Amino acid sequence: MKKTKPKKYDCAEVEKRVQAYLDNYLSDEEILKIEDHLSYCLPCDKKVEFEIKLKELIRHKANEKDYPKTLEEELKKIIEDRHST
Amino acid sequence: MPTARQLEFESLIAPHLSSLYSTALRMTHNQNDAEDLVQDTLYKAFRAFDQYQKNTNFRAWAFRILVNTYITAYRKAIRQPQKVSYDDLEEFYLYKKLDESISLQETAKEDFLENFFEDDVKDALENLPYQFRLVVLLCDVEGFSYNEIANIIDAPLGTVMSRLYRGRKLLQRYLWSYAKKRGYVLNEKD
Repeated sequence: MKKTKPKKYDCAEVEKRVQAYLDNYLSDEEILKIEDHLSYCLPCDKKVEFEIKLKELIRHKANEKDYPKTLEEELKKIIEDRHST
Repeated sequence: MPTARQLEFESLIAPHLSSLYSTALRMTHNQNDAEDLVQDTLYKAFRAFDQYQKNTNFRAWAFRILVNTYITAYRKAIRQPQKVSYDDLEEFYLYKKLDESISLQETAKEDFLENFFEDDVKDALENLPYQFRLVVLLCDVEGFSYNEIANIIDAPLGTVMSRLYRGRKLLQRYLWSYAKKRGYVLNEKD
């Protein structure tokens, strides 16, 4: 039986899949190949680290912690109006 | 006295008020419109609550109503063609730019991120064309999966992925231009 060894990813192939990788949307085999590449390719590893930090930053800074309390009152009203009809 | 069904609706939706409002704010750009959008969403969600199937993903269900309400209300405004060129969008844009412009140490690159103003990140997001903004918010801020987003925006998975990837690349460009404008980056060549 001929079985070719799975080809390793080069930097371009990692780059092409990096977003899906960070979103945890790759197959186990693809994940392994990416992690293998990152284990010896420092430039790619640094870039991926940076992307992770950037994603954290966006999530952290774009999330509104506060919302108008009037929304809670509005919610009560919506529910009660419905009840009274 | 509210009925059990009403109380159930309230207890299911209350934990999501802040994330619904947060997304509404990024989509509408201002607090009054965001509040109106969430109010309409609450009203519609409550009226449609009978159609919600118990033990399915309530959060995604509520966001789907938010998105539909947004699109209906802003139909005219968002129908304008989006003039964005995607041809030369590349991965790792921000990192590469930082690398080219200054020989920063890795720690300095991370410090660079820390120095971003919250408002710059919000502005950059709010400037994305709405289709891109929506998927980037749903994925990167709200943490929905690709499949959940496909369901929320009612689009195929491939569309979700291409909008998300392009949106993020575009976002990195905007962040880079903010960084230059704010003087976070010195010695920039171009």
